[in-house]
Amino acid sequence: MEKIRTIIIDDEAPAREIIKHYLNEFEPVEVIAECSDGFSGLKSVSFMKPDLVFLDIQMPRLTGIEMLEVMTEKPQIIFTTAYDQFAIRAFELNAVDYLLKPFPKRRFTEAVNKAIDKIRSGQGTAQPANQLLEKMPDSAQPVSRVVVRKGNSINLIPVENIRYVESQDDYVMIHHSAGKALKQQTMKYYEENLPKTDFVRIHRSYIVKVEEIKRIEPYGKDNHVAILNAGDKLPVSRAGYKELKKELDF
Amino acid sequence: MKHPVLSNKVRLIIWWLAWLILALGQLLSYYLGSGTITALSVSDNAISMLIFSGLALSIWYPFSYFNNIKTGAGAMISNILAGGAVSITLWILLTRLIVSSLFRSSEEFTLYWDDTFYFRIGSGVFIYILVVVSYYLFLSLTTLSEKKAREARLETLVKETELRMLRSQINPHFLFNSLNSVSSLTITDPGKAREMVIKLSEFMRYALSRKDEQPVTLRSELENLSLYLDIEKVRFGDKLTTEENIGEECLEVKLPVMLLQPLYENAIKHGVYESTESVRISTVARITGDYLELVIKNNYDIAPSSAKGTGTGLINVQRRLELYYGNRASLRALKENGIFTVTLYIPSE
Repeated sequence: MEKIRTIIIDDEAPAREIIKHYLNEFEPVEVIAECSDGFSGLKSVSFMKPDLVFLDIQMPRLTGIEMLEVMTEKPQIIFTTAYDQFAIRAFELNAVDYLLKPFPKRRFTEAVNKAIDKIRSGQGTAQPANQLLEKMPDSAQPVSRVVVRKGNSINLIPVENIRYVESQDDYVMIHHSAGKALKQQTMKYYEENLPKTDFVRIHRSYIVKVEEIKRIEPYGKDNHVAILNAGDKLPVSRAGYKELKKELDF
Repeated sequence: MKHPVLSNKVRLIIWWLAWLILALGQLLSYYLGSGTITALSVSDNAISMLIFSGLALSIWYPFSYFNNIKTGAGAMISNILAGGAVSITLWILLTRLIVSSLFRSSEEFTLYWDDTFYFRIGSGVFIYILVVVSYYLFLSLTTLSEKKAREARLETLVKETELRMLRSQINPHFLFNSLNSVSSLTITDPGKAREMVIKLSEFMRYALSRKDEQPVTLRSELENLSLYLDIEKVRFGDKLTTEENIGEECLEVKLPVMLLQPLYENAIKHGVYESTESVRISTVARITGDYLELVIKNNYDIAPSSAKGTGTGLINVQRRLELYYGNRASLRALKENGIFTVTLYIPSE
């Protein structure tokens, strides 16, 4: 039978050790790589295409959740973390399991057996991250960066550099101070997770950073258009105009 | 409210002394007016002051009652005026009754009484005003001091609660991740696992057992912090290094317990958690003038982090410094060229 190729991604060596140790008892599982941060983890996953990944959430460079957002190949995922606030999200993501550190062997065995079953039966892997993120209940604090993929490189865009977000079918185009980037995500996610004090949804298809608006002009009978500092012209819907009015207090 | 005079022996003595003075004063003014002092005038004085004193003592009850129910100024004044009219009339009638029954030779008495009648009214009004004013003063002074005492009590209560809350609680993530390391080490390196459990226990004991807000020495704070950092070193290996340069003279300086903990937690959270490079935390302590100067530095990854700090740690330390030292301590944080620096000044005495 083919081996189950597995990668362990965790920034703490002892945490990786215990997983490796527990895995010794699973004959079909083979650990092909260990990574200690999100970037190298992502690289290894797209390069080696493992069947199973043990994934920590809080890590340098990219968090486990952010990794999933930009992963194109999706292996089976078992989250291992002490951060229980992500548990619901992980299950929504269809992660095989979610192990809270420190975890008993019994729970670990259960999780790995589930993963083996899924892999052997060819069941679906984790859902695309955008669906997970859309379902995320309002997170405790707004996101502070957005991770995008451009070809083979991964970019981190600080939220304060985002000028506006434009919806494009199943994707969003993020216009930021150093260009623009396409990402598979929903407008709803950005509406809910960008800091509400800085961003306003001015239109079904546009969320704009208030600071970027230079002026607002009437357009047609009922509509308005927002002119940004960089010269972009964005339509403002009637609801959006109301929002702006409330936000800017005019 | 208790009677201000009857409930206190010293005040009672002062009260009678005051009436003695009033009686003597009245006798003197009578002497100055008539040129003579008779048995009649002496006993009249003594008896009338005795009566007024009793009346004045009982005035307190309606007085404090009306003062309590917070009537308007108009009602207050009319109450006082009515009370005055009633007491003075009562006083004169009672005095006349008693003195006239003592001195049966009615001619001398009638003459004396008519002679002193207006003077008697004036003196009654004067004494009545005196009594009311002193009651007033007493009342406002006691409510003021009571209010102050209550406020002070409340303030200490709030302060204590706040200090308790501010004293850094153990971060659950730290705890669970450390326990996970222990769990792992029991297999790979049982000796080290035991060492880690002991360190973790010592650290927890220090953090949990300090229920009071007694200050501790910098020495014990640093010892505890090195426990904390040792535990983190087990988790992160070479990724975390520390360096200390502590002047010998600093070690006995007292400071609030667990004050520095949040600063090191920050260094770990924003330094080690977010960086792939090795992070070095350096601590330098020295005495400058009357202050202990503490400088804590760490390098960090300048890439945008996954979670912006909320500043809770720094605010927490700042607030505790304020509560402990007022404006005699200070904290400054600086982010520059990938180095985060916190500088603390704490009075060394």
